[in-house]
Order: sequence, then structure tokens, then C-alpha cells
Amino acid sequence: MISDLTSQPVERRWQGLSVSEGLVVGRVLRIHRGTRYVFPARIEVGDVAKEIERFRSALEQARTQLLAIKERAATAMGPDHAYIFDAHLLLLEDRKLTEEIESYITRKRANAEWAVKVLGDRLLSVYAEIKDEYLRERGSDIEDVIHRVLEALSGERATYLDLNEDAVIVSEDLLPSAVAELDLAHARAIVTDVGGWTSHTAIIARGLGIPAMVGLGNLCQYARTGDGIVVDSYHGEVILHPSPKTIEQCRAEMQKRSGKGAVVPTNGTGVATTSDGLEIRLRANVELPAEFAGVEKYGALGIGLYRSEFLLAQPGVMLSETKQFRAYAELAELAGPHGAIVRLFDLGGDKSSDSIIDSERNPALGLRAIRFCLRNEAVLRTQVRAIMRAAAKGRLDIVLPMVSDVSDVVRAKEIIAEERSKLEGAGEAAGKVRVGAMIEVPSAVFTAEKIAGVVDFFELGTNDLVQYILAVDRSNDKVAAWFRSLHPAVLESISHTLKAAQEAAIPAIVCGEMASTPVYAVILVGLGATDLSMTPSAIPRVTRALKGIESRAAISIATECLACATADEVEDIVRERFQSHWPQLFSPDTLPAKKAGR
Amino acid sequence: MVEVTLAVRNELGLHARAAARLVRTANQFQSHLRLERIDGSLSADAKSILNVLMLAASGGTMLRAIAEGTDETEAIAALAGLFEDGFGELES
Repeated sequence: MISDLTSQPVERRWQGLSVSEGLVVGRVLRIHRGTRYVFPARIEVGDVAKEIERFRSALEQARTQLLAIKERAATAMGPDHAYIFDAHLLLLEDRKLTEEIESYITRKRANAEWAVKVLGDRLLSVYAEIKDEYLRERGSDIEDVIHRVLEALSGERATYLDLNEDAVIVSEDLLPSAVAELDLAHARAIVTDVGGWTSHTAIIARGLGIPAMVGLGNLCQYARTGDGIVVDSYHGEVILHPSPKTIEQCRAEMQKRSGKGAVVPTNGTGVATTSDGLEIRLRANVELPAEFAGVEKYGALGIGLYRSEFLLAQPGVMLSETKQFRAYAELAELAGPHGAIVRLFDLGGDKSSDSIIDSERNPALGLRAIRFCLRNEAVLRTQVRAIMRAAAKGRLDIVLPMVSDVSDVVRAKEIIAEERSKLEGAGEAAGKVRVGAMIEVPSAVFTAEKIAGVVDFFELGTNDLVQYILAVDRSNDKVAAWFRSLHPAVLESISHTLKAAQEAAIPAIVCGEMASTPVYAVILVGLGATDLSMTPSAIPRVTRALKGIESRAAISIATECLACATADEVEDIVRERFQSHWPQLFSPDTLPAKKAGR
Repeated sequence: MVEVTLAVRNELGLHARAAARLVRTANQFQSHLRLERIDGSLSADAKSILNVLMLAASGGTMLRAIAEGTDETEAIAALAGLFEDGFGELES
């Protein structure tokens, strides 16, 4: 791109996938990831001492950052996540490494960056020789530290630490580890080049209630820290170097929206009653301690889904029963009288903590979730023991992820019963837990009536359900056009499952991302859902929508949708009916946008 | 000089987190502390995390710990305790 350096940079727009709603005007905070280019330079003999001094102050700066990160990680994500940064600190303090680097600077009259790079690479290559796979992978810790020192040397990190009020995080991808580093509570928005609706970025942003967009392609190549940026996820657009006119338009729209769109969190009751008197119970989905505060703040009726695999701070490191027990007991206390539903480790597939599992050619269809638990019985037994012990202190239930059919449930329940009698035999208190099944694969949908006979409740994980019913990889941008939550096949599956639960007189909680979007929540109610579980910050907006609608109208719209042949037809109906029934609740931009053809 | 043979009991071995605990402990003592693979193929300064990581001691590895200095007995006892406890990563 050729540009005149003296003039204002030209406004540029990117389209992407909106994964968390909002409109924000701010400044770019660019988060780096990946290779950093470092070049050798020969320095004057007289400057060697100065170069070493520069290296030492970079070390000191990196150290200060790490100490802060460690502390933040401990409070935001739990102490187990913080230990890893202790290893990083020790690496920085390791005299063997620092002495070698300083000696290289002196002998070769090299710039500090080059010395760090050369010795770092040398170290990594030795590490790559290690035979034990798990230990070898720990080379990434060394890489991380080297990266941090290089960053400190370049001085780029200065802005990173004091996160401005208007920071919009721009990154290629936001890795789970980056979450610990950033004071995300002060971020205004997150945008990434890659990712999908259920990527980590998306889940975190919705949890924090800030706008987010993913799949922006090459934004990172152009955005620099400090650049002006607009994130408009209502319209699926990011604008870099917005002109004063654009900014003004955005501010006007924000003003307009703050009148009707912004929902002030109220101490809700966890029950939303439709205008014709149908009660919908709203629970919270949580994973990180940082989100726990939202459960009470937004008035959730307990925790509908606790994704327990997020307890595993490090890939491959299984937590002891005692540590799990403490975590679940804390969870039960937090959830209060309504309790929490713990989903057993959903490891495998696209989850991050899956390095215990050997690589599979087709992980989404592979050994994951309950299959993984049944093949790793020790892991399963430890977890259910910990949950049952914690259930003696507060109300907890178990949900089995991704069951295929009755057999998975029967085997898991046998194991749970065995562990219960072992606990009781040992004189340990074991609380009552109900056992439910996640319905998220086609085989479970088709046999839902049978499964309903052997469980206490259903949970519908709509993220996976959409992916498996439509056979579309949700993290693959190329097939994003085929990923349609409002596909008639998806709606039919949900409807069928809800009916099966109703006939068996067991509760069915819809807990996927669909439940957190007002339009989808209304359709779910129309399909027969009376229990929803969602990211806590979504509770106010979903409550507001549900209170304003009549369930009878929702049912009639859903019935029409079920008769459709394509997702486009469904969305046409949704747009048309929602606007005519509830124009004050659903402005056109809150409804599914018309999609381009395939 | 005190010498003792220790087994890496936790499944994942001396990975970054376990190594960090080991090195932090080692640095609390005056004595020189070395760790060697039992076959003598690799040897590490127990106060350097890089060295310890390079031992590539996976679960089940046998190591020899050698301490020399004024507080050698205490140092060895502290290290032995960590190994015994599997660096806090043993399944209870």
C-alpha cells in the first residue's frame, strides 16, 4: 500500500464475523504472536558496555511484567494457572543463560537482540532433541521468555502494560494463555484475524460483555498500536483510521443505542416471564473464576453449565482429587441454593487442554468428551469422586458431554455408583448428584426418547449440535456459510429433543451460544424450551426480550420455521415476523442479516 | 558431600512447573547442588532451571543428587522431599 506519509492515513474497512455485539470507538492495542524478525548489527567496542546495560534493563522490564502477570493470573484464573509464570521468571533469572548472552555480546560485538536470538535458538534446538514428547513441548516456555525479552528490547511493550481506557485488542489469534497476560477487564473490544463463533476470543468477549469480531483476514498487517479504530459488530465491520466524519456517525449511533439497546444489569430473579405468563428459567454458563462475579450480578438461577476442563491449567496435567474437590466445593458455594451442573471433562476435539490425547486424524469425531472419560477411567473416577464429595457441601449435578446413546450413559452411571459406594464404604460424605446427558450429536437426538429414560435431565449443547447436524467444522472459515444455527434441521433436532424430555417429564436446559442471543432465545422458547443457560452478561438482554414477547407468538413462528427447507427461508420468516410482532424489541440490525448466496 | 538417589515420581517428569519448584528450593541453600542422570549421561546444576530442564527427566527417571557445602544435609533432605511428593502432582 502506497501512502503519503505526511497526510492522514486513509480510512479502511474490513468485514468479519461478529461474535459479541457492540459498537466501540477506540485505539488499537496490537498483540503480537509468532515470529519476530531480528537482524544482526555490529556494535562499536566502546558501546559493548552500553549494550549489556540495555540487555539487563530489558531483563528487568520483562521480570516486572512477569511478576504482574503472575499475580493477575492467580486472581483471574486461579493459582494453578500462575505457576507456569514462576518457571518463566526463573528462566529470566537463570545466570547461565544471561552470562552466555552477555559474553556473546562482548565477544561478537553483537546487538543484544541478535545475541538473545542466537542463544535462544541454540537452546531451543537442544530442547527439540529431547525424546520425551511432553518435556520437549515445554520448549514453548523458553520460546515465550525469549519472545518477551526481545519485546522488551524493542520497547514495543510499553503501551501493553498500561492498558488505556479505550484499548481495542487486535491480534491474529487470542490464545488462551494471552488471557492471563491481558487486563481484559479494561479492554473495550477484541478483534482477531482468525477464529469463529465459538473460538476462545468469542467466548471470553461474551463473558466480559464487550464487542468482538473474528475472521478479519489481514487486519493485523495494517493495524498498529495507537491507530484509531472502530469496531462495529452490529454491522460486522471494523474501520481502521476512521475519518472524523465516521467517528461522529458512530458516536451518534452509540448515543441512539444507549437509549434502547444498553441494558443495565439489574439483580434479576433468574426467571423471565413472557407477557402471556410463561416462565423461563435463566442460568449461567461459567468457566473461569473471573466470570463468577457475573452469576450473582446478573441474577442467574444457579450455574447451568460449568465447563470443568477449564480447571486444567496446563495441557496434560490432570488435577488431583483434592484440588478438584476444592474447586467444585467453591463452585457449589457460589452457585447457591440452585446449584451448579458440572460438565465432565470435555477433552479432545477443538479444546485446548487435549495434549493427553494422541493426535487423531479427525478429532471432532474422535476420542473426546464422554468417550475420552470412558477410555480413561481413572480420570473419570477421580472427577466424579471429587464432585460427589463436594456435593455433600452444596448442590451439584453432573452432565455427561456428547453421549452417543444409552450405552454411554449406562456405563458412566455404573462408574458413578461404584465410586459412590466406595466413598460411603470409606466413611466419606457423598452428596446426592443427578446425572444428565448433553444432547449434541445426531445419534443422541434420534434416540432422545430412550436416553430420557435413563437420565435425570437433558442439556442441549447447541454449538456442537449445529456442527454435527450440519457436518460443518465451526472453526473452518471456508465453510462458515454452511454453519447456520437457524437451519431447519437444527431446529427440528432441538424440537425433537425438547419433546422427548417433556414426555419423560425431565427438565431440558438449552445451554449453547444460541441461548445468549435474544432472537435465538425467543425461537428456542417457541420450540418449547423453558430453561436456558448462557454467559452471565447476556442474561439482562435475554430477559428483556423474553419479557416483551408472547410465548404463543413465539410458538407459532417456530412452527412456521420448522416447515422450512433452508436456513435462508427460516431467517426470512424470523426477520419478517419479529419485525411485525415486536418492532420495539428487535430493530432490523438485531435480526439475522440476509446472507449472500453460496 | 552428600549423595542420594531419587526417582521422578510424577507422571509428567521435570517439566517447567516441577522444575521451577525444584530450582526455587535449591536456591534456598548455600551448598552446591548437582543432579545427574543415574547413567552419568547428563548432569545439571540444580540451581539453574535451564540445566534442570535439559536433563529431560521424564516420569520414572532415576537421578542422583549431590550436595556439597555447609548445609548439604538439609539441602538434600529438601530435594528428596520434593521428589517424594512428586512435586505436588501425585494423584491422591
